[in-house]
Amino acid sequence: MDGGARMTVVHYLNQFFAGLGAEEAADQEPVRLDGPQGPGRGLAAAGIAPDVTLACGDDYFGEHEADAMATLLGWLDELHPDVLICGPSFGSGRYGYACGVLAREAGRAGVPVVAAMTPDSPGVLAAEGAAYIVPTGSNVAAMREALPVVASLAQRLAAGEPVGDAESEGYLPRGLRVNVLSERTGAERAIGLLLAKLAGDVRTEVEPRGDRVPPPAPVADLAATKVALVTEAGCVPQGNPDRLPTRHSNVWLRYPIADVDSLDPDAYESVHAGFDTTSANADPNRLVPLDAARALEHARAFGALHDVFYTTSGVDTPVATAARHGQEIAADLRAAKVGAVILTGT
Amino acid sequence: MESTLADLEIATFAVDEVVEGTQTGWSDRRLTVSLPQLAVGAGEPALAEATVEVVRPGDRVRISNVLDVVLPDVRVSDSSVHRLAGVAVVTVCDWLAAGYTDAQELPTSLIDMGGPASDRSPWGATINIVLRCVPAPGADAAEVDSAIRREAWRIGRELATVTADLEPTETITVGGAPGDAGLPSIALILQVASEGPLVDTFWNGEPLGVFEPRIVAAADVLSGSLTNGAYDWPGVRNVTADYQDSALIRGLQAADGSTLNFAGVILAPGYLDGATQKRLAAGSSASLAADLGVDGVIVTTFSSGNSHTDTMLTVQECERRGIATVALVCETNGGLTDHVPEATSLISTGNEDELVEAWTPERVIGGQERAAVGERIAAVHFVGGLVQTGDARWTAVPA
Repeated sequence: MDGGARMTVVHYLNQFFAGLGAEEAADQEPVRLDGPQGPGRGLAAAGIAPDVTLACGDDYFGEHEADAMATLLGWLDELHPDVLICGPSFGSGRYGYACGVLAREAGRAGVPVVAAMTPDSPGVLAAEGAAYIVPTGSNVAAMREALPVVASLAQRLAAGEPVGDAESEGYLPRGLRVNVLSERTGAERAIGLLLAKLAGDVRTEVEPRGDRVPPPAPVADLAATKVALVTEAGCVPQGNPDRLPTRHSNVWLRYPIADVDSLDPDAYESVHAGFDTTSANADPNRLVPLDAARALEHARAFGALHDVFYTTSGVDTPVATAARHGQEIAADLRAAKVGAVILTGT
Repeated sequence: MESTLADLEIATFAVDEVVEGTQTGWSDRRLTVSLPQLAVGAGEPALAEATVEVVRPGDRVRISNVLDVVLPDVRVSDSSVHRLAGVAVVTVCDWLAAGYTDAQELPTSLIDMGGPASDRSPWGATINIVLRCVPAPGADAAEVDSAIRREAWRIGRELATVTADLEPTETITVGGAPGDAGLPSIALILQVASEGPLVDTFWNGEPLGVFEPRIVAAADVLSGSLTNGAYDWPGVRNVTADYQDSALIRGLQAADGSTLNFAGVILAPGYLDGATQKRLAAGSSASLAADLGVDGVIVTTFSSGNSHTDTMLTVQECERRGIATVALVCETNGGLTDHVPEATSLISTGNEDELVEAWTPERVIGGQERAAVGERIAAVHFVGGLVQTGDARWTAVPA
């Protein structure tokens, strides 16, 4: 692979590594250069030559991030690269951050990205798992070791070839978990793990992931806020006219409640397959608290109740699907100028 | 649920090849099967049709609507079982095509014999005798299921009977004298769930239903007392073969007296409905383990979702009693379904949400509907690949 005729390889560097100058050039605006520059020549020697080098001064990026990103992403959009390589930025904080932000946005736009930096670089956090980041030492002495790993990953990503797990490939975990076939059965591993634990060596194959959602800021003026009711309790009109799946739902639905003060058990039911719905179906307001919300609305506890409620059945739903549901419902709520939500779960 | 077997000898006979012939027979690790002889579903009033065919690893075949996998074996005496290795009976039924609308909750359930996902189910690597059943019109689902399970066992028995006078490839003995008191004592907590027709687990042919945790003989589990009738998520489905050939029981038995003492098996309920029920059952399992005087337990998990809370509470109760615990759990794209701080040693049986490359097989056995031909589909749809009994090799790693 030469990064030429068949593929487009783009390399991002800061002003120093692009040969534009040291600190005196740190306010350099984004610039687009042909061919490999600086470490790009090392990448070429390792088998993947950049076609285009994009560079930006560290200070300029830090002080004009939005402008710098608009320019850089515009060029990427134009170039349609098969792979973007950022750095190595080693232990540099500003350069690492710029690499991480560009890697994140390019990765989210569907461009395969490889970066290289120290594991504690702010760029690692900034990349948010959207790039393959090769860990390096803190200074340029680590270049010789890093470039072949970067080049190998970039070559395969550009060719659309599979990349293995973080440990075997030598990149920092991106927060994903992929399946691999172990040499040993789960039983053999479990017995080994337990005997080790009994001997004082406590290990695990999986840690809980801290997927914490920060609480939003308090509603500033509830009396002027439109409130919506959202549920994953599978609450639908009797007979489930729109066939909401009872489990592993890939849709969400919304139903009008503008003229409804309370959910009548003869008119609504839960089709959720994950719990015993007997009690809930006796009073669907316990799934979607419309009766209480109307009482609060009449008491002017908040501005108004949104005239539809949102529902899905939250059981056996892959997280990615659930996240999409959340994003779509949130977009709908924003469009309706809803400012607060009562979300009921089962 | 008392133990009926103290010791059990399981003689296995490796099968290298299965060929079709007029008579079921055996010659030098080659099994000859008579498919018309095996397909006698007409004997079951709940079945309108039963067909049998053989598929082999490498065939460009997808088996869809898979229910269960049974290892062919036959009890040759009170204490001895003959079992074929490398061959399995796979049962298939397209409930929806037969009009059982309740079955719409049962997910797509596949085994690929070839193509990119052939290693996603361990049953893509065995020679499979596929029993495809069509329910009789109007037959009760539980009766149909019961008939399919009986037929699978009958076929297994008929096949394994050919080994009556043969020398086994390998023999293992389960049970035996207590081990060395100086070694750590370890029990297995085997979680199962039994929630009604098509989502049941059976003990000696009867649905377990809601039951108290109890000690069972490992020999009973391996000799067919525990069978599957739960057709929920295939990747994490404990098929009957996972009980017959339990890798954990075999592993613990093999290590008994050398690195550990195998103290026994506690059968525990999963998928319990309420928080109190879950806590009580977890506490009962841990108390049984304490009564056995064990130093450690291995806890398995049944299926996906809800049961992971049963597993985690069991881990918590055991650890609080000073019993070191390892649990087997599958992961999702969102991480673990549940977790307690005491769960410091977990085996990952893989990420069930990982998408698997699309494939178009040359042939589908089991019905084109819900066969996901040409579609990317999650790993959890491939039978037994991510099973949390220790019987598979998939695991999830950081990427």
